[in-house]
Amino acid sequence: MTHGRWLWVGLAIATVGSPTPATGQPAKKGAAAKKPAAVPPELVAALGGADLEAAARAAEQLGANPNASAHDVLLDALALGLHPAVAVPAINALVLKPAPPDGLALRRYAGHANPSVRIAAITALASYPDPSSQKAIVAGLRDPVGNVRNAAAAAAGRGNIKAAIEPMLQLLARGEESSARGLAQLADADLSRKIAEQLGKVPDATLIIALGAILKRADFGPDAVKVEIVRAIGKIQDPAAVNALTDYIDSTPKTPPRTSRQEATLIVEARLGGK
Amino acid sequence: MRALLLCVAVLAACGPKHAFRLSADENNAYALREALAKRQLPVSPTPINASGQPRVFVLTSGSPKTIVAYDLAAGSVLWKADADVQSRIFVGGDFIVALEGKQIVARDQGRGSPRWKVDVEGTFIGVTADAERVYVTNREGNTWWLSAYAGSSGKELWTADASGQLGAPGAHGGVVYVPFLAQWLTIVDGRTGNTLTRLRGIDEQISTLRVTSQVAYYGSKQGMFRLDERSASGKRTEATYGQVKIPAQLERTTYGRDAYDPIQQAYTAADRSRVLWSSEATTEGPMKLTDDGYAIHYFRYVLGFGNDGVLRWAYSHPRVELIASEHTGYVIAGVASNGDIVAIDPRTGAVRGRKSLGTTQPVLGATFDADGWQPTSAGEPVDTVGALVTIVRDRDARFDRVKELAATALAKQPGANVTSELLAVLSDNRAPLKLKDTVVDLLVARRDPSSLAVLTEQLAVKTDYIAKTEPDALGPVAKAIAGLATLTLDPKQVALTLAALQEHLDAANTASSDLVQVIAAMAAIGGGAERPALASHLLLYHADDDRGGDASWQKAIVAGLTTKPGPQERVVLRYVARDPRSKPALVTLIQDAIGPD
Repeated sequence: MTHGRWLWVGLAIATVGSPTPATGQPAKKGAAAKKPAAVPPELVAALGGADLEAAARAAEQLGANPNASAHDVLLDALALGLHPAVAVPAINALVLKPAPPDGLALRRYAGHANPSVRIAAITALASYPDPSSQKAIVAGLRDPVGNVRNAAAAAAGRGNIKAAIEPMLQLLARGEESSARGLAQLADADLSRKIAEQLGKVPDATLIIALGAILKRADFGPDAVKVEIVRAIGKIQDPAAVNALTDYIDSTPKTPPRTSRQEATLIVEARLGGK
Repeated sequence: MRALLLCVAVLAACGPKHAFRLSADENNAYALREALAKRQLPVSPTPINASGQPRVFVLTSGSPKTIVAYDLAAGSVLWKADADVQSRIFVGGDFIVALEGKQIVARDQGRGSPRWKVDVEGTFIGVTADAERVYVTNREGNTWWLSAYAGSSGKELWTADASGQLGAPGAHGGVVYVPFLAQWLTIVDGRTGNTLTRLRGIDEQISTLRVTSQVAYYGSKQGMFRLDERSASGKRTEATYGQVKIPAQLERTTYGRDAYDPIQQAYTAADRSRVLWSSEATTEGPMKLTDDGYAIHYFRYVLGFGNDGVLRWAYSHPRVELIASEHTGYVIAGVASNGDIVAIDPRTGAVRGRKSLGTTQPVLGATFDADGWQPTSAGEPVDTVGALVTIVRDRDARFDRVKELAATALAKQPGANVTSELLAVLSDNRAPLKLKDTVVDLLVARRDPSSLAVLTEQLAVKTDYIAKTEPDALGPVAKAIAGLATLTLDPKQVALTLAALQEHLDAANTASSDLVQVIAAMAAIGGGAERPALASHLLLYHADDDRGGDASWQKAIVAGLTTKPGPQERVVLRYVARDPRSKPALVTLIQDAIGPD
């Protein structure tokens, strides 16, 4: 049971009265005494104190602290529960040095009642490639709060989470720009074609964002697939389609010559009256 | 002089009879016995019409309205006739009679053609018939009249006046029953117009009459007497008197039409909320209902009850209301607004027969002449659960209270499917809130161990923006689960339920009111396995302003962890109690529960 660890941590801290390493294993005897000086005790105290501003500052400072025990302090504090105003900077600080045990803490906060905390946790989880963390990100796509879904879509794109594709396609159909961008990050040739086929099923503006973002990806190819995307954008009547193609033309060098760029140029000229 | 005396005697014989007087002999056992003996009644329930075939005479809407005569045994229409019917239809031996326009019109029962008509002077009060005669009450100024006409010709046979209010009469076997001043039931010889006797209700008003081929019932909204020799007492306790338990939700239900209400002398919505019963002759004690039960027709439903008021069965007519109903002795017959005819077994609720008038016009009302009808054509299985579910799901807001009654009855039926049906009410956005409250209480009180799996399935629905779902009645479901705690439950199912509850405990969007119930349910059924999850939950939110500051959450989580707390729970609770970020009220609750450090 996932809660077992948190209970253990809570018990340990409550019993000992000071933070213990929480890097995934129970503290060994003397382990806490080896590097206590590396983390200023006042930061530890501030993080667990009632002064929220001081606690938030302490979280940021602990994140910047190169000592590994600073990470443990953050992890322990999260295990014992933090006010949302402190939890967000604590999560942001924690993810600066990702470690496998973090996932458990972050998943717990990914279901927090406070949306800001969820956003921070889901965003952070993109740095953890384990299936449980990815599952939490995919779950975030179903969150009723739009900003949480946006964070999840961004995290899915950044974390290259294939399981997020289907829900993001559904969100794309509802016009969610974050999913358009997330899908663009995930898109390979097949997915890009699938996205292009959504014409008429997805709001034009959203589809343009997805296809335009795919075109801009330097790592996306081959050019024949880009040609297909250019033509797909060309079929969209929304004026934003011309802007997307223009952006692509502007961001792509003339040489070596690319069919996709030429195709985009022809379409733009035709749409703008044969300039 | 002799001639003068003769003339006076003749005039006296020809003039109105003075049947209704304020002071007259009443509750006379001998006279009552004689009056009852005068009746010519069949030995078993039998239609009054000369053919002895069960029939129903239906009035359908339109301009003009139409009378449809229907042979229930043959399942065929006998005839249809346009008629401006303004009253109920009454059945004689070879005729039917009703107020048409402002006239009493008798029609040939075999063909439907008018046989005779008489004008009604003054205000029409009521009409009835037996095999041979038609009886009419009307009012002219301060005088009420009861008149008899030959069914064959319309010839006036006699009249009787009253200086006080007469109600609509009833008749069978050659005697007429006439309510008088809401206090008396006068029994009149139909042939001569002579008063045979009269009964005074000593502890009950007499405003309602129900006359079958064999039995006359009289009484009020409070209850009904079966007319027999014991009626002479005039008292409930010494007569054959019956009162059935009418559920509060069916409050408009009556034993019969009010004889003094002019509106009810026509077909009205009041016909759709009736107690339906038959009884057996007794020589002592209260009225003995046949099969120790009764039914209530309530719009599109017919509900069968035992004498104890416990629901035995339910019938819900598909789509439309039953407009008229009658207990014929062996079945409850009903006519629906679309012309459906149904016969229901009064013991079981099983449908014994279905027929159709084939009318395209809505039915306004109907009169059954079907005593003794025993159709056996349909053997549909009894589906009380199905009928109750139909009632509970009925969209008609008029029946919200009936739905509560049906839900209550449904909850008493065994089986996990019943739990599913009750849960469906909670999931129904259009179900009235009061009904939902009732269902929640029923689910909690139901305490059916087999419900746990169904309740757990209900927990599977989560908040999902893509699927557009929200948890269905999470709080009530959790409350119902908690209600099962003291029963012997399948440990595997408990583990599944606990896991499902925990998902809602950990979910971001669980409403505070639901969360409280989830925590309580976990604590109730978890047997200790829930404590790590609850402890983690407490730690996560104890420093949170919103959830941590919610008094109901504080109480729930502390209660959940302090029910037989182990050492680990005590350590966590003490930590939270010492934490300066914890809300003071939370700290107080913990200290109250486990004591100070």
